[in-house]
Amino acid sequence: MGLTIGIDVGGTKIAAGVVGTDGTIGARAHRDTPANSVDETARAICDAAAELIADHDVEAVGIGAAGFVSSDRSTVLFAPNLAWRDEPLGRRVADVLQVPVVVENDANAAAWGEFAFGAAKDVEHMICVTVGTGIGGGVVIDGELLRGAHGVAAELGHMRVVPGGHRCGCGARGCLEQYASGRALVREGRAQAESGSLAAAQMLSVCGITDPAELTGPMITMAAAAGDPCAVELLDDLGRWLGEGLASFATLFDPSTIVIGGGVSAAKELLLNSAKVAFEKNLPARANRPHPTFGLAELGNDAGIIGAADLARRPAPAQEKAAPQAAQAPEVTAPSDAPGAAAEQPQ
Amino acid sequence: MALTQALTIGIDIGGTKVAAGVVDPEGNILDRLRRDTPTKDPRETEDAIADIVRDLESRHDVIAVGIGAAGFVDGTRSSVLFAPHLAWRHEPLRDAVERRLGLPVVVENDANAAAWSEWRFGGGQGESHLVCVTLGTGIGGAILNDGALQRGKFGIAGEFGHMQVVPGGHRCECGNRGCWEQYASGNALTREARELALSGSPVAHNLLRAAAGDPRKINGPMVTELAKDGDPVAVELLEDVGRWLGIGLANLAAALDPGTFVIGGGVSDAGELLLAPAREAFKRTLTGRGFRPEARIVRAVLGPEAGMVGAADLAREEATWLRRVRVKTTAVTAKTAAARGGRSTRLDRAARKSASRRTGMRAAVDPELQPGQLQLNKTAELQGDPEA
Ligand SMILES: [Zn+2]
Ligand SMILES: [Zn+2]
Repeated sequence: MGLTIGIDVGGTKIAAGVVGTDGTIGARAHRDTPANSVDETARAICDAAAELIADHDVEAVGIGAAGFVSSDRSTVLFAPNLAWRDEPLGRRVADVLQVPVVVENDANAAAWGEFAFGAAKDVEHMICVTVGTGIGGGVVIDGELLRGAHGVAAELGHMRVVPGGHRCGCGARGCLEQYASGRALVREGRAQAESGSLAAAQMLSVCGITDPAELTGPMITMAAAAGDPCAVELLDDLGRWLGEGLASFATLFDPSTIVIGGGVSAAKELLLNSAKVAFEKNLPARANRPHPTFGLAELGNDAGIIGAADLARRPAPAQEKAAPQAAQAPEVTAPSDAPGAAAEQPQ
Repeated sequence: MALTQALTIGIDIGGTKVAAGVVDPEGNILDRLRRDTPTKDPRETEDAIADIVRDLESRHDVIAVGIGAAGFVDGTRSSVLFAPHLAWRHEPLRDAVERRLGLPVVVENDANAAAWSEWRFGGGQGESHLVCVTLGTGIGGAILNDGALQRGKFGIAGEFGHMQVVPGGHRCECGNRGCWEQYASGNALTREARELALSGSPVAHNLLRAAAGDPRKINGPMVTELAKDGDPVAVELLEDVGRWLGIGLANLAAALDPGTFVIGGGVSDAGELLLAPAREAFKRTLTGRGFRPEARIVRAVLGPEAGMVGAADLAREEATWLRRVRVKTTAVTAKTAAARGGRSTRLDRAARKSASRRTGMRAAVDPELQPGQLQLNKTAELQGDPEA
């Protein structure tokens, strides 16, 4: 009993699993993510869930999706890969499946999975960064997932680390994910190969390719694991950016554990060690404060499924407890309005 | 007199002075005292605190003392791990002062204390997700979610000033380069103004005149005054600081997604001269702008005594532990957790914590208890038992 379904909606695949209260996945179902169709994506999600519901007594469904998920845990405000804008995904799926549905940001879901059952199961304060094509972030404070006023907190990949740096898909420049993600790794690797560097040529031959355009992240990781100096250096650079970024995040959140997950974390120590060194070297006032521990994620690709399923079991904190004072609903300013339009004038 | 009507004392420890005030439950300061602290020795500072409290106590009936200190305050709010201006290292301030006074004492980071008072009495009232940024010589920060100060694992969360905004940028006293407070603080404003004056640029004429011809005498308030009088260079200097402020706030919004930013500290006296460019830069650098709700950016309203008022109010919270709403809330949470089974140990822990977070008290909560039976173990708290 107490089963819930977790669904990880990726850019190409939808992965669903039936998850027990101990975080173990039983049956699974998969669908391809339909390209660029909101309706078909919602249908594929329902399909995968229905397949599992047919054979299991399921209490609730949790969906992890890339993008901004509103604090109502149902509406996707914006999804970079899925053409969703203000899409009431949770409600639509719930209407079809007739079970309670919550939608969470995918990185939040993965972070929660690691917090509840993985690398951070023994702590109450953690930061999790998911280093994949981009960088996702999830923050747990005092045992609670940080969602923010509007549901879009912990976008750690879009914290600016380089003024006027690389242009980012989020509309800003110099975001961390332009320097420490899988996409950045490939960009740097290809750039080095195209520059005619001999070290990079050697890396390409270790990868068994000749055209720099064929280079992928997993290839670089594989070459680094085989000891190729150029690939090792590329991952080292990536880790350094990551560590520097995490040092800034640690000043905000003061975590006891930092967890690094996502596809690029398959490089393990090749990434982790340089991240750790950079972190220790960049933590503000490092001599006078306790330092958090560092670890690799433990749940792999299942973190999102497990986390979404477990979050589906938990009401949002706001629904769970009464505010101590009459806390008004956060003001939602339409994007076109000046953010300070309602600001108080100085007194 | 009911405890909730009682007076408390708030204390602000600066680098060279100790300022104290008697504060009522509405946040009004009824009486003030201030002492110079001749040395940076912790013992002498503690004596000065005890002196000043006894002095105020002789005129007012107070039930607790709150101390706001710049630096890292540990998670149990008893020790100062590190204070930049006071050469304190792992100083057990709470116990030392409690021993001298026999009153309950709370120690809190000064920016946290200031933020607390803005949430209770000032610009952040009613905001469920508040982030406060205090622009003084450096930058202090605090996070308040649903009225609970977020302290982090070791008590030192919210140190926004040392978030890196420029790789390899200006050197900072924290040991790094390019920290935000090197670009958006009072020190940054002063540094830029002095640099401009030292360069001999004719545009700095008014600045130099205000400083009697000596660039080293230029300070932040001077720049603000000139800007208010319309001096174009002073306006520009504040604009630059405001722009860095907005850029940093956009970073914080990516991480924390608050509903409101309250901007306090001395530099915020510049008002819209600072905040208008900050909002502009915030809008232009916010991640996902156009597809997300945006936080308001407003000025703090309580001024330089916010920290004192906040520390006093936190001490009152600590001393008046019988809070029916919180007790009920905790019991419900704990019961729900117990009913869930499986991960109940952990959830119970979380439930206990959410109770303790609100008041800063470590409450002893038995998940099996019904709401009416709930006990909060204040005695254990005063004895400093971390697992109570
Ligand atoms: Zn970005
Ligand atoms: Zn610093």
